[in-house]
Amino acid sequence: MIDPFRLKTMACCVGAALGSLTAAGTQADSSTPRGTPTVLGNALNPGFLNTVPARDPEGLDTQAHPRSPTGFLYGWPILPPQTKETESGWLYSGEAELGGLGVFGDTDNAWFLQYKDLQSGPYLNNFSFQANQPGSALFFETYGGGIGYRDQFIGAEAGRFNDWKLDLFYTEIPHAFTSSYRLLWNGEGSDDLTLGGLKPGGNLNAATTQANIQETLTKTEESDLGLVRKQGGLNVEKYITNEWRVFGGYNLEKREGERPFGAVFGGGGGGGNVEIPESIDYETQNFIAGLRFDDGLNNLNLQAEASLFRNLTGTMTFENPLLITPNTITGIAPTAFTSGRYDLYPDNNYYNLLGEYGRNFPDFYKARLTAVASLAWMKQDDDLIAPTTFSLAGGNINGVNTENVWNTTRANSKQSADAEINTQLFSLGLVMSPTEKLDVEGKIRYYETENKTEFFACNPLTGQWGRLLNDGSGGSFVVPNPTAGNNPSGTLQTAYNQAGCNVAAVQALGLVPSAGNVRIRNTPYDYKQMNYVLSGDYALGRASSFNLTLEREEFDRAYRERDSTWENSLELGYTNRGFNFGTIRLSAEYAERRGDTYNVEADPNSNSAIFGPAPVANGTNVASWIHAPSGLRKFDLADRDQTTLNGRLNVIATEAMDVGLVLQYQNNDYPSSNIGRTDRYTLGSVSLDVNYQPSAALGLYGFYTYQQGSMDQSGIQSLGCVIGNYYYFYSDGSIATNTTGVAPAPLNSGARLRDQTRVSGTNWHSLCGDASPINPLYNTARAWSVESDDYNHTFGVGGRYDFGWARVELDYTYTTGVTEIGYNYNPDALGITNPDTLALIGSGMPNLNTTQQFADLNVIVPINKSVALRALYRYETGSIDDWHYDGVSENPMPTANTLYLDSGPEDYSTSVVGLFVQVTF
Amino acid sequence: MSIHSKPLPRDAHLIAVSLCALILATLVGCLPTGQQRSTGIEDQGAETKGLADNAAPVDAVYVGEKACLECHEHVDTQYSHTLHAKTFRDNPRNSQQAQVCEACHGPGSKHVEATWDKRLIIGFTRNWETPVAIQNVQCLSCHQGGQRLHWVGSTHDKNKVACSDCHNPMVNNSLDGALRKETISQTCYSCHPKQRADFLKRSHMPLPEGKMTCADCHNPHGSRTRPMLNKDSVNEVCYTCHAEKRGPFLWEHAPVRENCANCHLPHGSNHDKLLVSARPFLCQQCHNQLFHPGTFYNASQTAESALQPGGAASQRIIGRACQNCHTQIHGSNHPSGARWQR
Repeated sequence: MIDPFRLKTMACCVGAALGSLTAAGTQADSSTPRGTPTVLGNALNPGFLNTVPARDPEGLDTQAHPRSPTGFLYGWPILPPQTKETESGWLYSGEAELGGLGVFGDTDNAWFLQYKDLQSGPYLNNFSFQANQPGSALFFETYGGGIGYRDQFIGAEAGRFNDWKLDLFYTEIPHAFTSSYRLLWNGEGSDDLTLGGLKPGGNLNAATTQANIQETLTKTEESDLGLVRKQGGLNVEKYITNEWRVFGGYNLEKREGERPFGAVFGGGGGGGNVEIPESIDYETQNFIAGLRFDDGLNNLNLQAEASLFRNLTGTMTFENPLLITPNTITGIAPTAFTSGRYDLYPDNNYYNLLGEYGRNFPDFYKARLTAVASLAWMKQDDDLIAPTTFSLAGGNINGVNTENVWNTTRANSKQSADAEINTQLFSLGLVMSPTEKLDVEGKIRYYETENKTEFFACNPLTGQWGRLLNDGSGGSFVVPNPTAGNNPSGTLQTAYNQAGCNVAAVQALGLVPSAGNVRIRNTPYDYKQMNYVLSGDYALGRASSFNLTLEREEFDRAYRERDSTWENSLELGYTNRGFNFGTIRLSAEYAERRGDTYNVEADPNSNSAIFGPAPVANGTNVASWIHAPSGLRKFDLADRDQTTLNGRLNVIATEAMDVGLVLQYQNNDYPSSNIGRTDRYTLGSVSLDVNYQPSAALGLYGFYTYQQGSMDQSGIQSLGCVIGNYYYFYSDGSIATNTTGVAPAPLNSGARLRDQTRVSGTNWHSLCGDASPINPLYNTARAWSVESDDYNHTFGVGGRYDFGWARVELDYTYTTGVTEIGYNYNPDALGITNPDTLALIGSGMPNLNTTQQFADLNVIVPINKSVALRALYRYETGSIDDWHYDGVSENPMPTANTLYLDSGPEDYSTSVVGLFVQVTF
Repeated sequence: MSIHSKPLPRDAHLIAVSLCALILATLVGCLPTGQQRSTGIEDQGAETKGLADNAAPVDAVYVGEKACLECHEHVDTQYSHTLHAKTFRDNPRNSQQAQVCEACHGPGSKHVEATWDKRLIIGFTRNWETPVAIQNVQCLSCHQGGQRLHWVGSTHDKNKVACSDCHNPMVNNSLDGALRKETISQTCYSCHPKQRADFLKRSHMPLPEGKMTCADCHNPHGSRTRPMLNKDSVNEVCYTCHAEKRGPFLWEHAPVRENCANCHLPHGSNHDKLLVSARPFLCQQCHNQLFHPGTFYNASQTAESALQPGGAASQRIIGRACQNCHTQIHGSNHPSGARWQR
């Protein structure tokens, strides 16, 4: 049933469209504020007003089947509308399609509704109106569809041709995330989520808490989580002179709704997990203004842009149904953590100044120079919130009373974020033709991001370094190392606290910290990027050419594992449109990325290891000083050899038929990566398109795409690295440790001692850092690997036929995707011995399967010149298997303190029936 | 240390094969083709000095729209509804535009005298055989600058894509842009069908639903970035619609700040949220440090397996996997948010 708001909106919009003549559309070509859509449409009008139009039997001209230079058939022209003329000389035409929809089947399924809103009820499918006055060159247009529904769109444009233009638009995009969410809170969508029937903080013990929640879940029906993006705006454009144009624009976007989110308690994942709904209430305003100049030789674009994002739910508090397991803090009951609080995305401002210049030098080798300067500022200065809302009375962290020292913003090292990233882009390019057949191009491009954000994780009230985690239920703090022998006897746990949150003062103490990986400050990631391009294009004939491009890309990053990377690439391309049968385009590119030394300690200054000397005392677990095994290569920085091949063949099969064949392949090798993304990452696809349009009455098409991808990765499950300990490595991969030097018997009787080693105060960094068969921390026997293979088939077929008394259009699309994830591991090394567990693990994850089918049938029967009846039938079906959600519906609380409320995507099958009256005027 | 065999030199073979294919194609391209033997598509040009670089025969003069319509009367039933027609007829900005048909096709006097001679007027269809460079120059005579400031030397220019491969200003088949097909995306899919398949995958942006087009992120006329993005970087493009992720944040996530495409496939994915691969494995491609990041996660840890003997649920596998805890993975502004948990 359509709600009153929709009826009202529909009435208003229909009235506006048909009566007031104040309306239009957006132009992709114009400079518009960021976020302005390049299309207005919805699922039933996907980028065009789907009116099932009649085609012009005479085509366009004497040439029956005109083709583009590449060989594509031009779309058969639709029969143009009959225009009428008013007394004042305005020419106008319009249409509207009004009727009703019936939607049957799984109508509430989130996958079906992902970006559309199809519901039973009256429906204005689309409308349009165009008018222009030849004498004055004035015009206006309006169009829209789905009015009153959550995927509605409407545009209006008015102006004078070649002089000025004003366009307005409004569009809504729904985004359904899930329809299988079990909502336990009241106030969804707000900044305060309160539990409906459960006790915040849980009950006496975990088992009772779990039982209560499970009972509540049995009474909780599944509901939807989703949001709607509403956006409206205007753009103006005006020629000042023949050369100068000025433009401006504004749009406002609001996003409201909820989506699945999560919250963790304690120090990590073991303290409690609950899948809460995140409240979304965003508002973004975008502005643009600019000038454009073109005198045939010189082109200039000047543009200023601003984007102001506001999160109207800056913080979100939620009541916690779990009995959580605290970490780090002592003296606080587990039931005390009755709620949690999020600092959601902060407000931010963005400003950009852009200048682009192009200059032709027709008398100097037909050269063209382009230059770009773009400066942008991203800023946010949200007030920071306190680490917790709880007083933490009675609590203690590392010997410091926690009462009222964490529930205040004075616990933060600064009161507002004062975060800023500025970017700069400068580019200079020159293209010239030294000979008739040769074009050469050189380009140099510099891009930089500069991050000016600074934050220290230290509480000025207590002097403690580190962070109070997850509302106080956990902590990550650094204190002087308590293991005897690392620091002078009698060193207090609170010794760092006296340094007044001053890193240098802490370092001056010369004390070994308790851990090496406690974050003590933020990392202001930024980078500089240089690109040098040299290319040549040689005309082999007037219809064929060969091109070669050399490019070098350099990155300098201040806080990553590699300071510098560089990539050299060579691309060869060939184009020939001169064949009778069609056009060939081929390209091959090889790129090699390398860099300087890879240091797994990307930003040492952000971690507690810099507070003092490295530990040397027996009994110290030094694992936290070794942040990652030395063989790890993050794939965006790793050495990479990349090969890319592209082939496009456009065939003129018959006078009225196109055939297109596209082959694409890319392979990425990571030759120096032993851990992380390794070996090969390949992507390949082959596509075949057929388009047959022999007449205005008949048009058929078909397409098929096959895609295959493969990605390998590996990891190592860490163990430990304790100074003074002996580690024993057995032939089955298992590892034992003690301090005696006497190897214990292997757990597996068939195993034998393969090797042993002792961690000392001097060898631990190399011994435990480089993954090896005798590394106690990153032992190669504990390595695992994963191969992920994607396979996709996409098939479509359809066509149109005009019987004269009726027109029929049919479209069918089938798409299926499978991801197979297989793995290898050593169960003995990882201590997995339970046969039931081994059977469940198997050789890989269950396949991720997705299949969707769409069928659309449209029949339109003209009644007279201005009225037609249209029937629409749309059938959609989808099936999905995703192991992330296997069993969640039946087992939403697999442990006493983990609670999953989203059961994930579900299969669906839906039919949409529509009947409309189409009126043209 | 190596726990994986090194890649085989398969690429070397591929490169060699592709180079051979290119050389072969080049040689084939140098040979006379069928059309070249007949009248020579576009290869008419070398000897056709009657054609200037960007215009019809230099000694031709304008004959006016009426003369054109004498033979092309039906064209006007379509053309008169287009933006070009209304602009040229109702409010031309210069003498060239005032010529209407000849504004684009060039002066037609020679063509009127010998209508069969394709060299005497600029045509924009394949059959007419006007070289693409001449066609494009003709379009750019009005459309240079603005969004097309970077056209020269762009990927499409290098690949000899004609303006008229994507646009057909003679008919009004699209809402905007005088496109060859009904929508921007359909036009792009003609050469980029892989992207059409991507946009039909499980997770995709709302192109098939008519809420976006390729041009929301790309400028097909060339831009200041290599992938023809319409902003300065990948991230700036993404921030256009996802302004909340722009930050900056107190606690940044390096690959997020640098390039959204490190984790997301913008055209579509078999995985949730346009992810490159399934979580937690995607995260583990960079995170293999102590504790759980390096743990071997497997099929015994789903919620379903937890109901079986030997199964034990892991919050790193179920549902949103790593993001069950690290919810603010795009950056956190919470004073305790270094691990993006609040």
